[in-house]
Amino acid sequence: MQDFKDKTVSAKTFDTPASGPSTKSSRKSFLKRALMAGSGATFGSMLAPGLSTLKAADRSNGSGTQPAGQNGRWEASTCLGCTSWCSVQVYVQDGRATKVRGNPHSKVNGENLCVRGHMSLQQVYDPDRLKQPMKRTNPRKGRGEDPGFVPISWDEAIDTIAEKIMELRRNEETHKLLLTRGRYTYLRDILYDRFPKIIGSPNNISHSSICAEAEKFGPYFTEGIWAYRQYDVRNARYVICWGADPVATNRQVPLYNNAWGELLSRAKVATVEPRLSATAAKSDEWLPVKPGEDGAIAVAMAHVILTKGLWNREFVGDFNDGENRFKLGETVDENSFNENYAHGLVKWWNLELKDRTPEWAAERAGVPAEQIERVATGLAEAAPHAICWVGGGPTMQVRGAYNSMATHALNGLVGSVDNVGGTLASNPEYSRGFPSVDPHLDDIARRGIAMQKIDQRGYLEFPSLNGGRSGGGVITNRAADGILDEDPYDIKVAIAYFNNFGFSNPQIERWERALSKIPFNVHITTHAAEYSMFCDIVLPATHGMFERHGFMKSIGNGYRQLPVNRPVIDRVWDVKTDESEISWLIAEKLAEKGFPNMLDHFREYRDPETGAVPQNAEEFDLYALKYATRDLWDPAHYKGGDRFDGWEDFYRTGVWNSDPYNYRARWGNMGTQTGQFEFYSQTLKTALENHAGIYNTGVDQIMESAHYLARGEQAFVPHYEEPFVHGEENENTFHLVDYKSRLNREGRSQNCSWYYEMKDIDMGNVVGEDVAQFNPVDGERLGLRNGDAIRLISDTGELECTANLWEGVRPGTVAKAYGQGHWAYGKLASKEFGKTPRGGNNNQVLPADYDRLSGSSAFYGVVRVRVEKRSPSVT
Amino acid sequence: MSRSKTVKTQNTLISETNAKEEQIENPGSGTHSRYKNLRSPESGSPKSGDLSRRDFLKSMGTGAAVVGIAGGCSRADANEGLEHLEGTNLVMVIDLQRCTGCGGCDLACKSENNLREGHFWSHHITTTSGKFPNVRYEYLPTLCNHCENAPCEKACPTSALHKVNGGITAHDPQKCIGCRACIINCPYGEVSAHFGQPHEEWQEEEELIAGVTGSAKSTLEDVGGERIPIYNNERENHGLGNRHHGIVEKCDFCLHRLREKKLPACVKRCPTDARIFGDLNDPNSSVSRILSRYRPFRRMEHLGTQPKVFYVRSFNAAADYPQTKGELAEVDTNEERAGEFFSQMQQNQTERYGRDEDGAIDITKLAQQEQLFG
Repeated sequence: MQDFKDKTVSAKTFDTPASGPSTKSSRKSFLKRALMAGSGATFGSMLAPGLSTLKAADRSNGSGTQPAGQNGRWEASTCLGCTSWCSVQVYVQDGRATKVRGNPHSKVNGENLCVRGHMSLQQVYDPDRLKQPMKRTNPRKGRGEDPGFVPISWDEAIDTIAEKIMELRRNEETHKLLLTRGRYTYLRDILYDRFPKIIGSPNNISHSSICAEAEKFGPYFTEGIWAYRQYDVRNARYVICWGADPVATNRQVPLYNNAWGELLSRAKVATVEPRLSATAAKSDEWLPVKPGEDGAIAVAMAHVILTKGLWNREFVGDFNDGENRFKLGETVDENSFNENYAHGLVKWWNLELKDRTPEWAAERAGVPAEQIERVATGLAEAAPHAICWVGGGPTMQVRGAYNSMATHALNGLVGSVDNVGGTLASNPEYSRGFPSVDPHLDDIARRGIAMQKIDQRGYLEFPSLNGGRSGGGVITNRAADGILDEDPYDIKVAIAYFNNFGFSNPQIERWERALSKIPFNVHITTHAAEYSMFCDIVLPATHGMFERHGFMKSIGNGYRQLPVNRPVIDRVWDVKTDESEISWLIAEKLAEKGFPNMLDHFREYRDPETGAVPQNAEEFDLYALKYATRDLWDPAHYKGGDRFDGWEDFYRTGVWNSDPYNYRARWGNMGTQTGQFEFYSQTLKTALENHAGIYNTGVDQIMESAHYLARGEQAFVPHYEEPFVHGEENENTFHLVDYKSRLNREGRSQNCSWYYEMKDIDMGNVVGEDVAQFNPVDGERLGLRNGDAIRLISDTGELECTANLWEGVRPGTVAKAYGQGHWAYGKLASKEFGKTPRGGNNNQVLPADYDRLSGSSAFYGVVRVRVEKRSPSVT
Repeated sequence: MSRSKTVKTQNTLISETNAKEEQIENPGSGTHSRYKNLRSPESGSPKSGDLSRRDFLKSMGTGAAVVGIAGGCSRADANEGLEHLEGTNLVMVIDLQRCTGCGGCDLACKSENNLREGHFWSHHITTTSGKFPNVRYEYLPTLCNHCENAPCEKACPTSALHKVNGGITAHDPQKCIGCRACIINCPYGEVSAHFGQPHEEWQEEEELIAGVTGSAKSTLEDVGGERIPIYNNERENHGLGNRHHGIVEKCDFCLHRLREKKLPACVKRCPTDARIFGDLNDPNSSVSRILSRYRPFRRMEHLGTQPKVFYVRSFNAAADYPQTKGELAEVDTNEERAGEFFSQMQQNQTERYGRDEDGAIDITKLAQQEQLFG
């Protein structure tokens, strides 16, 4: 017994990193350790001179001196688990990550971290991670086909990829290269932009439009920002969350979690959401809107605010004589109103609002008129410290663009735009772009880049008006159709990284066919995902939080932060970083094969400190980061925000914070055509007319083709559109309310046991299960009981899951979290790897439809499903 | 596939373990019944074989031998390293208005304390009440209540469960015989039995794709860590790093952290600052002041266990119903008076803790740490 005590207390406890490697990790090869940034200083002499900063950082201690009994250190990095991009610190013990926390140096999230950050620990040490490259041996591709993966060397993998690219170059069909990404760091331009351009392809397709593009549509066409906003909740007096669930899922979750308790003391909070979300449960008012009808409530609220005379005069302006002429059903003379920082309020009233009473909205939205009026009044009385928080729910719908405008326009009415306690844009930041690509583009590349993109953006029925330009934004999910129909042409080589388009896009079966059709397909991923199963070569990627370099940009709390991704642990297995290291390796191979342009370009990413030219993938990876962030850390190039002594200081701290927010600086100076907040959007009018002009037609024709109901000038103001829903409405169908699990690291955390252990923190969910939630009234009618094995069926497809009856669901709807339903990804994620999913993927029943003005895929309020009981799966 | 194998444990217990989770279900916490759902049945289920009565008795017998040896230990040893907590009465206040039910505490606890799958020392109870659309969801974070009148301690035949400085209910694994009297007696289900070896899933040798992916075992060997890659060996500073077959386990307010003058992990990692930890014997501590300002409740107070985990305010938004010691505030819809109400609310806020104004209670972790450890 005494032996046992000695062993646990003395031998292990006080084993500091400096005192030698632990017995368990000593198996790692010498070389592998030498290449790690997180390895001991002992191996420093092995490193190239240019990497000296890594060694220096390695010696440093993130949290000062170590108290007795503490044998690890906190090392800064960035969480890429969702679009919060929190600055974090990882507790590293002998090269292993054991704990995580928010980075105290961050002015956005501070030391706060959500449950997803913790789950990253299980991701990086997932037993099912890929440990080396592999290739396919079964030439037949399709769901259910065993790819027959066998291990290959990095050299063979990279050589094969380079050879396929050279083949495209030789045949002058470089545009048939497709490069796709999902999550990223801001080293992304290396692989996502420079790489395809130098080869000669226009096809860099991001995931953005299956994320939040429609949410950005309203802010862009009212105040000129196509970006996420930040919400000044610490100064707010009223908050309406429109299909946003900030305490659970998106975005800056740790920050808003931290602020919420105080917010509830200081402000009223209302949440408009068909199901009782986590945020709805933490709100004063829940408006359980019928899916898709958010726009009705929004315009009715605008009607209430105007008829009650509660708009913010300072921002919006007033009638010349101060008398309120906004009266039910009455048209107002535009000349009677004098605007300050807004444009077109009276036009908006006349075109849309004058008849939009709460009673009218109540009929459509299924929310009491008194509640609509009460919330609208409360919002306006708290003006200008009153926020309309626009999330994906009302906007990522077939006609969501105008819901985005209508909900966001309320911020204009109450004057909270760019104001204290309001909705804010991003603070300036000072990272810089990579060296110019132009000198390295040859004729083949230039011809290739000029070709039409594969995602059909800018087609007549797909205006996709990012930045106000026809075809300005990506239409991620449409790329599958482009590939399948070979419209505008066929794709021969595809490279995908940090994404899983074979899982994350609605009507997923199209992607399965499209991917089967691509002759040569490469996936760069930590896990063998659904997408990988259609690939010829799969490359193992580093984990974004623990094993790689990069940096991110995020906003909140009145600041912008640029947190750094750092390799802080010994890498698990022989994995490499997608954006930097793998790009370099391919560039080297291309140079060997007679095409040096990419390597020539990469050699321009010199170390800003020494001027050294990168000689290998590791140096390139580091120099690229130093290059892009130079103006943040180099005192000689200081432009603002946090000050650092130099690279080491910045690198060790792991985050740069901007200066505080400059309120109201954008009043009268917005990125719209008029420079004002546009209730009547001149900016949208111009964009739509330009798009129509390309096809020699009118805006009405565009509206019709893009499935909108507005005609004439209504198309230029925030207005109500009746939701466009697939599937018949009858007593046996349920409107699907898709939502995101608070445990989702974007569909990548379903191989973590904690995901299943903790599943009941999703409201009304069940541990270990993937449930579809019905209101008990519907459950009783259908004879459904908790735990029944069921199938949800739409015209698109079907999925299998478990029934759960819960009062937080609106009768007539079925709510189901997105996340599970993997048929690949790992032993826990799937029932039978490569064959049978565990739970059901909502994208099996969601049809591929779009908000065509923004290019977004529709996830919410878009489909009705039938439910069937099935015999429970054999266990 | 069989999980049954002979395993040499840290304290030299040798036992044949064929843990079947259903048979060892913790009657109180229900964590094991949850565990059975965690693994997809087809994907390498750990539930093969039974834990025989013989195995159990064997482990008890070995445990009893431990008691025989450990019996000589004096009680003073239990406070070794905790001298600075002498004379304190450590309590936790959980502010439900600040809590958002995010689950961060649960996972922070799991990684801090190397908890195996299915075990929680920090957990939660969720309830939904009402009918659509008037529905109320509540989330109650739970953990060992470190009762002043601890039924588990009283029931423990070997004094494995005992009180240490600060009034914390600690557990001595060397004295524990795994008899489960504590589990039966704890009304909160906060004690769990540890059957089988910890983190058994990390012994799995099967690779997902042969030759290309790792296996659990090869990953563990490559990464290191005691039975699990994210093993935090600082847990060994007080108690065991991993628990083992035949003993019980529960929250001890992170004694290994308290002895290093650090707050418990769930307190430190709560992103909402909902957990406030401190000394109730210090009238100026934040916990004392919060408990005097807000009407707290504790779990199953009628049992007389005197829990040291207190809850204040409501998980649901309370803007209309500020919690006071008296009756609920009336909601007035008259605009003028509503304005008055609003300004009164604002005045209430100045009293809310976390601000530097007079009467404000500082609940920051820094303040808690300073109050407790200087």
